[in-house]
Amino acid sequence: MIDRTVKILTPHFLPYKTCVMGNEGIARAALEAGVNGVFAYPGTPSTEISEIFNHVNSFQTNPSNKEKYPELTSDPVYFEYSINEKIALEKAIAYSIGNRSALCVMKNVGMNVASDPLMSVTYQTIGAPLVIVVCDDPGCHSSSNEQDSRYWGPMASVPMLNPATPSDAFEMIKQAFELSGKIKLPVIVRTTTRVSHTRGIVTYGNINHEHRIAQFERLPEYINIPARTATAHSRLLDKLKSESVLSLLKDNSRLILNGSNNDLGIISSGVATAYATEILYQNNFSKNVNLLDLGLIHPFPEKEVLAFLEKGFKKILILEELDAFVENAVRNIAQRNNLTVNIYGKGFSDLVVTGEFSIDLITKVLGDFSETLFEKNKNIPLDNPEIFLDKLPQRPPTLCAGCPHRATYYLLKLAIPREHSELIMCGDIGCFGLGALPPLKMIDTINHMGMSISMAQGLYESFHDSEKSRKVVALLGDGTFFHSGLSSLVNAIYTRANILVIIFDNRTIGMTGHQSHPGAVRVPKYHEIDIPTLIKGLGVEVVETINPFNIHDSFEKVNKAMAHNGVSVLVSKAPCIFLPDFKDRIDKKMKIVVDPARCNSCENHEDVALSCSRCYAPKNNLSRAKAKLLAEISIPGSEQLCPANICNHGFFNSILEGDYKSAVEIVRDKMLFARTCGDICHRPCELFSNEKNVVPIKKLKHLVSSIDENFRDFSQPIKRAKDAIRKNKMVAIVGAGPAGLSAAYDLVQSGYEVTIFEKENKAGGMVTFAIPTFRMDKAGFDYEATQLAEMGVKFQFNTALGKEIFLEKLADEYDSVILAIGMNKAKTLDIIEDNIPVDKRMDALAFLKSYNQGENIIKDGSVVLIIGGGNSAVDAARSVKRICQDNTVIISCIETENLLPAFAEEVKHAREEGIDFFADSYVKACSLIGEKINISLHGYLSKHILRELHCDYIITAIGQTTELPAITHFNIDENLRVKSDSCFTGYKNVFVAGDISSGNNMSVIGAIASGKKAVIGIRKLLEGYKFGYEGEKALERLNTNPAPTIELRSTIIDGNINLEIEKYNLFQSCQKCNHCIDNFGCPAMVKVNGKVQIDMDRCTLCGLCIDVCPNNAIHWETVAEAEFEPVETI
Amino acid sequence: MNMIKKILIAGVGGQGIVYLSNIIVEAAMLSDIPVNVSEIHGLSQRGGVVTSGIGLGEHCTGFIGKAGVDLLIGLEPLETQRCLPYLHKNSSVIFGNYRVQPYSVNAQMAEYPDVNVFVNYLGEQCREVVFIKEFPENIDHVLYNIFQLGRATRMKDFPFRANKIDEAINATVTGYYKDKTLNAFNLGLAYELKEQSA
Repeated sequence: MIDRTVKILTPHFLPYKTCVMGNEGIARAALEAGVNGVFAYPGTPSTEISEIFNHVNSFQTNPSNKEKYPELTSDPVYFEYSINEKIALEKAIAYSIGNRSALCVMKNVGMNVASDPLMSVTYQTIGAPLVIVVCDDPGCHSSSNEQDSRYWGPMASVPMLNPATPSDAFEMIKQAFELSGKIKLPVIVRTTTRVSHTRGIVTYGNINHEHRIAQFERLPEYINIPARTATAHSRLLDKLKSESVLSLLKDNSRLILNGSNNDLGIISSGVATAYATEILYQNNFSKNVNLLDLGLIHPFPEKEVLAFLEKGFKKILILEELDAFVENAVRNIAQRNNLTVNIYGKGFSDLVVTGEFSIDLITKVLGDFSETLFEKNKNIPLDNPEIFLDKLPQRPPTLCAGCPHRATYYLLKLAIPREHSELIMCGDIGCFGLGALPPLKMIDTINHMGMSISMAQGLYESFHDSEKSRKVVALLGDGTFFHSGLSSLVNAIYTRANILVIIFDNRTIGMTGHQSHPGAVRVPKYHEIDIPTLIKGLGVEVVETINPFNIHDSFEKVNKAMAHNGVSVLVSKAPCIFLPDFKDRIDKKMKIVVDPARCNSCENHEDVALSCSRCYAPKNNLSRAKAKLLAEISIPGSEQLCPANICNHGFFNSILEGDYKSAVEIVRDKMLFARTCGDICHRPCELFSNEKNVVPIKKLKHLVSSIDENFRDFSQPIKRAKDAIRKNKMVAIVGAGPAGLSAAYDLVQSGYEVTIFEKENKAGGMVTFAIPTFRMDKAGFDYEATQLAEMGVKFQFNTALGKEIFLEKLADEYDSVILAIGMNKAKTLDIIEDNIPVDKRMDALAFLKSYNQGENIIKDGSVVLIIGGGNSAVDAARSVKRICQDNTVIISCIETENLLPAFAEEVKHAREEGIDFFADSYVKACSLIGEKINISLHGYLSKHILRELHCDYIITAIGQTTELPAITHFNIDENLRVKSDSCFTGYKNVFVAGDISSGNNMSVIGAIASGKKAVIGIRKLLEGYKFGYEGEKALERLNTNPAPTIELRSTIIDGNINLEIEKYNLFQSCQKCNHCIDNFGCPAMVKVNGKVQIDMDRCTLCGLCIDVCPNNAIHWETVAEAEFEPVETI
Repeated sequence: MNMIKKILIAGVGGQGIVYLSNIIVEAAMLSDIPVNVSEIHGLSQRGGVVTSGIGLGEHCTGFIGKAGVDLLIGLEPLETQRCLPYLHKNSSVIFGNYRVQPYSVNAQMAEYPDVNVFVNYLGEQCREVVFIKEFPENIDHVLYNIFQLGRATRMKDFPFRANKIDEAINATVTGYYKDKTLNAFNLGLAYELKEQSA
């Protein structure tokens, strides 16, 4: 940078040709013209001009340079970035009045801000020369409009120069200084992007070191009062008629082409001249036309244009970008002089008021005008480039990797999510405005500099008295805040607006190349203003500074500021990545890596094509990320697996998001019984977890399936069954218990034809008959079971194996058979059978069946002994108690207290209901004495007499066996259960599922899981299905944990579920994740083959992605010594 | 005669497009060739598209029209493809396989275009195509631009001699990066293409 500064300050006594950017030429010309001070506000495409003076100023005021470069530093040029263009121009005017020559630089829209001083100073006077450079942006490359600044000439009555090339700009700046000094008026040089940002050859000369001594003369013109303005106006207009103006008009109306043919005349101004010249030369047409270029366009070169018109052309073409400024003036001249020449301007050929010119456009226009076929060149374009072009992705600008604005937006996404709210967010001009684009999309309005706070307070006011009154958010950068946000904030405070103002304080004006502003100064000559102190001083009660990279701490502050009624302000403070402050805090010996195993992979589903919950869980689900940030308890998803392979993590996160419908659908993706499991599942996902405090999945399942509207809607599974590709295979399922029904559910969704045979007259098996009505919603179960018929499953009731149907025949008639007949015959105790009459004893299954059918076979006020420690025993006991509160119920079982096979919750409920437990006991003797049964209970381990008791009934609940007629075909275990290899019995095409399957956990979820597992076996057999049974891990855990022996946990929550679940984060890597891409969008995060990778060329090591990833897949890693090399940027 | 009058450099902000065009401008000045440049780099630091058009000779601006580019130096494959309308059947193209994926590709809303199909197409359509499939490992990615310039110097009708580029680098680059730049240039100059698909 020093080299460039030295170059621009070096005087040349002989012409020195160099190729420079238009803006650089402008700066050099101002130096050659002896400028003393430069006042600017940055803005594309003008910024390079002011930046040069910024560097010149630091160079010249640096003491070491004063010794090294005495000549270049002898007459330092003052420079400042004022807080806005109005201040810049006002200060430049004053500087000139103090007899120091000034340059004031801004972009097109900046002139609007500065228009107040411009419009008045002309009526007064200035001292030393004052030149204003304003840069227009046709085509809006980087501006909020494409206004035509040439109008400021006539509007303010100041001379207006309009260069076509860098070289023109260079010359015109020098002319402008000279003219301004002579006529004591500001002179404007207006460029466009294609003048400012092109490079061309410019000839440098000497630098004027005429020293201007500061002075102030008391002139009446300095006092602007109405009495003087009338005469001042005519005096101003006289200045424009002065001799110096006239001679400049002549110099700048150049006949660039002077062809022999006088048919065609072209008048052009600005960059249009450069386009036209090139095309006319390239087509060898330069000698056929006359081209007049107008450099000084206000006052308009009437005399020169008239002389040109009078040459007698047949046609005149006017070429100028944007408005018909020159054209209207030319038409005016022609009309006043009664010239009948045809003038072609806007509307002719492709000439329009909008956008930029281009080689192609001007080629077309010149061709049409000259009625000659113009070719840009003799080149033949490529064939069919559209086959590539049509498919090319766009490349909109994005916030840089490591940008603190992205961090702030991400924080806001989590803290004040917009998906389900009407929150309005008013943005502003600057880099952070990119937050309006995907994936951030956190901005609803962007207007002009500083409008955000006004927009927010105005919108707040429009809703103020309506029902929809709400806090409105304004977002603006730190530079913009000082530019014009501050005065709007004062108005908001004064009018008591209810708005939240978020200042994106990245310690610089980022967009235009990192200039200082009053809130962030980097040199001692400036005084820094602390933004929070300033705002507190204005009386704002809630003013918080947040570090956007610390999303955890900042989250609360955002909520607090949002909750405040009135003006609240957040200053999100972290340096732009281009500032040394950012770079200094980065440890370059570290790098960030993504663990591919945890990124976009699924831990518990193999076949994601088969109704994975990714279909439902909202794509922009932020709750996972929020849970990672805020939850007190983080549990890996692998800790809470379901044997039916329900995606518990997706289920839980849908609930976190408040999407209860999706939660039910996620259950139903894998399993039919959402409500039934919500009632009676013994929740192995919670009980067998190694975590202390677990997500209450069962309770949540109960909650979401209790919402009847969602529960009743089975359209998704029905649709899946209807849409499934038909396999044209038939499967018979024997037994309509939970295992058989679950198998049918999976098969029918995989395109199989399924028939269920059931010996009872309705579906349900043990669930219907053995589980007491008070434990579950029987109607809900029936509804779930009947949906299978809707999905296409056929039922044949009252059809028993060995009577109406035979296994051998089924195996022959069907492609496959699933035997799921359950263990529906109770085991008996000989001591009871032998000693107690039939009307005093019964087994639990028979009792529960009659209880469920509403029959009462126990007299009120009886004493009932239940033998057995399992769930049937407890169910029977609780049922007896429900028949009549006066019944006394005693449970005797051989297991010790803490090893009861029954679910701990059930035991707890039973105890609460007054049921006595005699653990570690057995019936040593029993007899009937009169109507009473006499029982002698002995300790099972200790063997001594525990108690003698009298009772009226005995119910045995010591387990079940089967009454399987076809059992001879199979290998059976000691409990008469069928042994199988992954549910395949080894006999023909017969599979086995549910309680009848050896080794399977005898529970509802065990039955469901084994039904699913049998289906996988069948699919492998019949269609060569390649995936395994997905619930294996959880099923193993279920089968090897025969009884929940752990203390009953306190996770059951009956109160407000929404308040409680937020303390959990059930996290798991997930194939549908894409969270960082969808919500964060750092350009250093690249997706390759479905996995995110960190592009080390782009990563700035901000480290926020580590916090962003909900799967904990991203982490720091130390860079190996050999890899580490300090990186500098060019 | 196939004069190279218009050169277009295309890529993404941060790839050193302006840096590269500065060196070419300097080489033109040293060769006494009139030169004009037009750059579009509105939001370059924010990862946007950057192009630099260079016009060599009298009355030749840096503005680029359709089928108006004689030499395209593409620093990024997707941005090279975007320049297709500016190429013609006598154009020369050199481009490197250093990808900068736009957001839409990462978000799977769009697909990154196939480079091999494109190379084959260019091979059929243009005069000379140099595709640098893999950059040598010993070059920092920020100097791929200079490496490509080095290789471009050997292309048919390249408007400057290699020693002029060398001189231009010496005149424009100072400090730490001068040697690195010269080294990258020389490596590019000596680079032989392997498995060139076009």
